[in-house]
Amino acid sequence: MKFRTLLATCAIAMLGLAALPATAADPIRIGWLSSLTGALSSAAIAENQGVQFAVEEINQAGGINGRKIELFTYDTQGDPTKAVNFAQRLAFVDKVHFVIGPVNSGESLATVPIVAKAGIPNLIIGTIDELVDPKKYPRAFRAINTNRQWIAAANDYALKTLKHSKVAVIGDTSGYGTSSAKTAAELLEKAGVKPVFSTLVDPNKTDLTDELAKAKAAGADVLMPWSAATGLLARLLNARGDMGWKVPVVGHPALMAPAIRKLLNKPEYWTEAYAAGYVSMTAGSDGKLPIATKALIERMRSKLGGNEVDFMFWWVALGYDTVRIVEHAVKKAGGTEPAAIQKVLETTPELRGVYATYGWTAEDRNGFPDVGIIMNLADSFKDGTYKPAQR
Amino acid sequence: MLGVIVTGLAIGALYAATALAYNVMYSTSKVLSVTTGHLAMLGGVFGAWFVTALGWPPLLALPAALVVGAFAGWLTDVIAIRRVLKRSDEHLWLLSTLALATIVQQGVGLWWGTEPKPFPRLLPQDFSSGIADQKYWLPIATTVLMALALELFYRRTLYGKLFIAMSEDTFAARARGIETDRIRSTSFAIAGALGALAGFAAGQLTFAFFALGLTLTLNGFIALAVGGLGSNVGALVGGAALGLLNTISANLIGGEYQNTVSVGALMLILLLKPEGIFGARNVRPV
Amino acid sequence: MLGLLATLPWWAGDQYQIHLAALIAVYWILVAGLNLVVGFTGQLSIGHVGLLAIGAYAFAILAGRYEWSPWIALLASGSIGGVCGLLLGLPSLRLPGFYFAMATMAFALIVAEITLALGDLTGGGVGLAVPGFSAPFDSPAGFYLLLLGIAALITWFTWNVARFPWGRALVAIRDNPVAAESVGVPVFRMKLAVFVLSGITAGVAGALFASLQSYITPDTFVFELGLFFFVCIIIGGRSSIVGPLVGTAVLTALPELVAPLAKLGNLFYGVLLLAVVLLVPEGIGRLFEVLLARLRPERAASHVLEPDTERLAAAIRKGRDA
Repeated sequence: MKFRTLLATCAIAMLGLAALPATAADPIRIGWLSSLTGALSSAAIAENQGVQFAVEEINQAGGINGRKIELFTYDTQGDPTKAVNFAQRLAFVDKVHFVIGPVNSGESLATVPIVAKAGIPNLIIGTIDELVDPKKYPRAFRAINTNRQWIAAANDYALKTLKHSKVAVIGDTSGYGTSSAKTAAELLEKAGVKPVFSTLVDPNKTDLTDELAKAKAAGADVLMPWSAATGLLARLLNARGDMGWKVPVVGHPALMAPAIRKLLNKPEYWTEAYAAGYVSMTAGSDGKLPIATKALIERMRSKLGGNEVDFMFWWVALGYDTVRIVEHAVKKAGGTEPAAIQKVLETTPELRGVYATYGWTAEDRNGFPDVGIIMNLADSFKDGTYKPAQR
Repeated sequence: MLGVIVTGLAIGALYAATALAYNVMYSTSKVLSVTTGHLAMLGGVFGAWFVTALGWPPLLALPAALVVGAFAGWLTDVIAIRRVLKRSDEHLWLLSTLALATIVQQGVGLWWGTEPKPFPRLLPQDFSSGIADQKYWLPIATTVLMALALELFYRRTLYGKLFIAMSEDTFAARARGIETDRIRSTSFAIAGALGALAGFAAGQLTFAFFALGLTLTLNGFIALAVGGLGSNVGALVGGAALGLLNTISANLIGGEYQNTVSVGALMLILLLKPEGIFGARNVRPV
Repeated sequence: MLGLLATLPWWAGDQYQIHLAALIAVYWILVAGLNLVVGFTGQLSIGHVGLLAIGAYAFAILAGRYEWSPWIALLASGSIGGVCGLLLGLPSLRLPGFYFAMATMAFALIVAEITLALGDLTGGGVGLAVPGFSAPFDSPAGFYLLLLGIAALITWFTWNVARFPWGRALVAIRDNPVAAESVGVPVFRMKLAVFVLSGITAGVAGALFASLQSYITPDTFVFELGLFFFVCIIIGGRSSIVGPLVGTAVLTALPELVAPLAKLGNLFYGVLLLAVVLLVPEGIGRLFEVLLARLRPERAASHVLEPDTERLAAAIRKGRDA
């Protein structure tokens, strides 16, 4: 008896779910899957600022073709299961015209097929290669670079510019770290280099002296860490500095995250570290940022607290650009019809944004050009700007 | 290889200190609290906060962190233990301390952030001292001193003797007029302060990181189970052995199987000697 | 009642609700089995997410890479879950409560480590795409009905286990293992049998979960998910089947409906767990049942099992005298 009664209560709860109303068709509805809390929230919080700002700007200017943007933000907490729930919700309850995100690769891998099945255009901001595929997911367009582009740039710098070929690859044991380390080894092999040492380290490992001693014993003359964990990267730099080993470190952009500065034993431990970065965030020969980046920073400065930008600004620029890409697509397509949006985006050869100049074709859904990547000096960060590594 | 051993001993010292904190609480309550590792985490996080955010000197931050730890330990008893022990159900304390541990960890995560943050340098020392660096020796020395102090406390002070009396027979102790509730609260506060001290001493090794607690709860427990529940010597030996096992196995087969190796070792020892190396053979409670 | 739930695809507003209902059904398939372990036998396993992951990966590898029929892969996932439950239970079920809880937690961490380390098999950090079932179960509504059917079957099964002497023996093990042993309950064997059963349901749930998600990565199977299953049971109420069922449904749906709760995440589960343990250790489900019984006194016969301590005591006395 009890069992039935409670099943009934469940069913009533479900009925409550069913009563959620559908919204009117007029505004352009954008779904934004963002991991605003949880383990990897710093990138998402910055991207969210860019997204919000672009939506405000566009709406204040009267919207896109007179239609205002309505933003549906959901916090996935970096959890793929929650991301899938919210993707379903965006597709079938909020009935959005576009989905931006999610932020982390693990979540994106799970949501991209769902958004694709619902036929909704999806702007991808995860770097894992498998996320885009013109056949399987014809309406998924990537705005961020791929992991391969970062790794290729770093490999190229280590092998050709620094002329070091005894590479030690260090990944972490997280999902992202293992897959990046694998790709790095693969790309090195293509360049005819076999790493002299490679290892995976727990991202919370307290001390990397041992790993570095082994790399040194193996004769490594360049360290290539592929990890997004700033704590681990700081420990790597500390171990290198404490050992007094003069070996260049070349790798993931997190190497130049401002959070690293405070974790270092001595500021000079950050020298001879080079990270894959962006032309749009790097000072040119005149020592200044590209005009579009500078302009966005100035427009947003009051929103960012009015002080110097003390976090990696490219996340903000990327978030800002995703909304601008939506604007471009809707304007060109003359509406939000998904097939027309797809057509417009896959015939966009050159779309100028703040973060990069994007281009997609019918065969390639990666919008970020190789020339948008540049190697930076990891310790050169000031007010959102990096200095280029010497070539 | 010397580097591997020193690192292993340093991290093992933190495990051993956690195991000691387990023991102190266990002696008066027969409870193994899931919050034990979180006490050390609080010592690290609050120590870093006092020094870096509030600008206090380490000499002031250390006692303040100990007070925070002691308070957290005392609170564990008041919230999660006292009411629950009165009920007959054996397992409720596991649930209540698990709930409290989750609250502490997530609360610190929301307040402090989920990224590891720096822990200040405590003593003036050059960073190039290699294995003589304070980040290795501070936790090792602290834990050894901690074990010696506990031993003195148990043998030489009245309170310590009360602890032993309670650990041997709580009902008899109460019958002899010992205020068992107060003794238990005191033991939890002491365990909290010890945990915080260990977390503070090892802060330069671990950074101030919110998720450290659960790792320590597990690894401190493994050290305790290997060494033998209730034995402080066992806690030291178990902690050191586990720390060495971690770093040596990471050195030989890489970091991917860290938990697998340490838990595998635990299972092996529990199968061969269920009471641990230095433990007294358990009498099954009826 | 089951009929009403079965017609959900026709009256639900949209596919999101069907997905949510399907997710609840999948979680329940695992929780129903785990409930026998935690709620009835009193073995506090916080690491069942490891068994869920094993079932999910087994299904993804067998049905995806080796293109087995999803039905056979589903059965295989359940069997693999059961075998892993046996391997985990054999050493750990002999350990006392806290030791056992830590062993299951460590098991979940080990499974996470191994899925990452065996990249060639599991796809490592990138994970694996998971195929769906064949028609008519390939649509969201069809798949939901399949899940509902399996969930109903497992509920019926655990219902029977709990109702018959078996269930009483399990509760006796929870409340006083020594007394249970003395009256001839094969304590360890029963614990192990129930644990293996929970491994099977976890394996089946894992396979269905993977298929529902359509893609799995190690990020999906975090330790917190294991804690979530555990909390569903404790909050729902021990030695009850309805309580954990409601607990699973409410705790899955609540953060979706109330955004501020989602922000608090696991803090919310922690507070809820603490409140329940301190205030209503029997669980909210039990409270609910009492209230319902009061509303409808003529149907007050309760299915909740209480240990028959008098009889046990009598049996012990008898044994002692003899």
